[in-house]
Amino acid sequence: MTARTFRKILIANRGEIAVRIIRACREMGIGTVAVYSEADRLALHVRHADEAYLIGPPPSRDSYLRIDRMLEVARTAGADAIHPGYGFLAESAAFARATEEAGLAFIGPSSASIALMGEKTSARREAVAAGLPVVPGTLEALSDEPALAQEAERIGFPLMVKAAAGGGGKGMRLVARPGELMEAAARARSEARSAFGDDRVYLERALLRPRHVEIQVLADTHGNAVHLFERECSIQRRHQKVIEESPSPFLTPELRERMGSLAVALVRRVGYVNAGTIEFLVDQDRNPWFLEMNTRLQVEHPVTEMVTGEDLVKLQIRIAQGEKLPFRQEDLVQRGHAIECRVYAEDPDQGFLPSPGRILALRPPGGPGVRDDSGVYEGYEVPIHYDPLISKLVVYGYSRRDAILRMRRAVREYRVLGIKTTLPFLERVLHHPAFLSGDFDTTFVEQVFAEADRKRERPLEVAVAAAALAAFRERRSARPGEGPGRARPSAWWECGLRDALRGRP
Amino acid sequence: MMFDATADGRTIRVEVHGQDGRYTVVLDGRPLEVDARETGRHFLSVLLGGRSYEAGIEKRPGGYTVVLTDDVVAVDIMDATRVAPRPRVSGPARITAPMPGKLVRVLVSPGQDVQAGQGLVVVEAMKMENEIRTPRSGRVKDVPAREGQAVEAGALLVVVE
Repeated sequence: MTARTFRKILIANRGEIAVRIIRACREMGIGTVAVYSEADRLALHVRHADEAYLIGPPPSRDSYLRIDRMLEVARTAGADAIHPGYGFLAESAAFARATEEAGLAFIGPSSASIALMGEKTSARREAVAAGLPVVPGTLEALSDEPALAQEAERIGFPLMVKAAAGGGGKGMRLVARPGELMEAAARARSEARSAFGDDRVYLERALLRPRHVEIQVLADTHGNAVHLFERECSIQRRHQKVIEESPSPFLTPELRERMGSLAVALVRRVGYVNAGTIEFLVDQDRNPWFLEMNTRLQVEHPVTEMVTGEDLVKLQIRIAQGEKLPFRQEDLVQRGHAIECRVYAEDPDQGFLPSPGRILALRPPGGPGVRDDSGVYEGYEVPIHYDPLISKLVVYGYSRRDAILRMRRAVREYRVLGIKTTLPFLERVLHHPAFLSGDFDTTFVEQVFAEADRKRERPLEVAVAAAALAAFRERRSARPGEGPGRARPSAWWECGLRDALRGRP
Repeated sequence: MMFDATADGRTIRVEVHGQDGRYTVVLDGRPLEVDARETGRHFLSVLLGGRSYEAGIEKRPGGYTVVLTDDVVAVDIMDATRVAPRPRVSGPARITAPMPGKLVRVLVSPGQDVQAGQGLVVVEAMKMENEIRTPRSGRVKDVPAREGQAVEAGALLVVVE
């Protein structure tokens, strides 16, 4: 395959990841085409892109999941490649195929690879064939409920019901007892149907207190494949990651080496190309079990970028252009420590209920070693239709301890008003002894942290004082002549107004 | 100025006086010297006993939500001169939508007995299905919500008595 150069890339996504991809394109001198739904005219990715086109009504299935609309826009705008981001169509083999057939480059693996590895049960079969240990469960998706009950009986409880087309924690339920199976399966199917348009599920044994560790891989079209070490993703709620880091405090150098080699073996076996992630569960005895492969860029890719110094989005684009990987395995080093905190528009005090709405005030952190991959801005209204992730806060430090102290500092600086976010929750997790010691697993948030957190001592004195002061100042300024001048417009405001009326900037 | 402030289930009398950023805040008879200045439209920089806090202040019906770095505290504020309405301890529980979304499933019907913590409806928002549970046991009196319908935050979903 001869290398070519993209002139314009369509980003078939929204939110922070669309902004992230636009940034990479701009740094490479590549034009960017954004797409947006009717709910997203004012979204940040539309403002950042060179061009932007409306693709449909707010529901994803009428906009961001519309393959025909994406290709139509690509044609109209003259894009020569499509980057799918993560979520939406990123793991749709049909989308990759339609893109290939339209003569455009799909910045990701081939449609055949997505079909093979994106479907969770066939990925499990490939992993077995490549010699990877696989969590016991069904190797086929189950279409009817009697078969489900029968297989569940065979695997034993507790077990996981998972969407065959799944990812991102959607369409996934833990089932502790036989009596909960049918309701959990119905919920998983319904969630999978709306998220992926595919309601097939499979079953997997639930490991006891596992850690979630994944290996980042990259492969080019010339037969080169490498891994970029691991990401530790055990801090989760509702099976969705909230804090990720690299390196994992749980991995020994030998285990890191072994998991890396297993991941590369699987990539080579299936002839995978571009960026991907092999997810493992690691049990208490440090045995890795293959979980699934994500055939796309991962949300938490920045932590890998921080410790390797590589730009994964640019590498994805270069691989799709037919270029060779610019390094070999032995050139790659994992240096220092990186942590990512996901800032979700959710209320941690109400079981992480979604909290869409207008952002009244936004103060992102700054200073050394801090990166904020955000998809929002002050005054922006977080819509109800899409994923609640509004930003990813990433820090780098020389050691894990350095990185944690820096992240605490950055989270303290980060302020979002108007909607509830996970920031105060993250601040408290970053102070938890189990997090500091690195001794935690995927049950940490729900079983270790939550109980103690409910009983935490709350900063009521300062909160009540601040609220009373706000009430006091508000009532004062409401009475003309008594307030500290806030009822009247200030002199500079009047000056500015006069200038504006005269047509000056 | 006197207020009754309620936070975390506890109500205390608060008295505030002062001006130009320097205030005395009396919490339950305990006076605190507070220096408070606005830093942008929704923030107060608060110096209290030598400690510096940047408090985010969100106005909401009945009071404020104070956003601190490690916690978010809802504080109800009532002018102390007014007589506080007696909080209702009995009567039907009105379960409302905690966020806007789509009602995907109704799990109960009128007349049905429910246990505290039991799921009543499932609301989908931001691509997640969220089960809304009853805070107490009782009998379902009314289910005004319909499956498939869009609901606003605060919309009445189920009445349990």
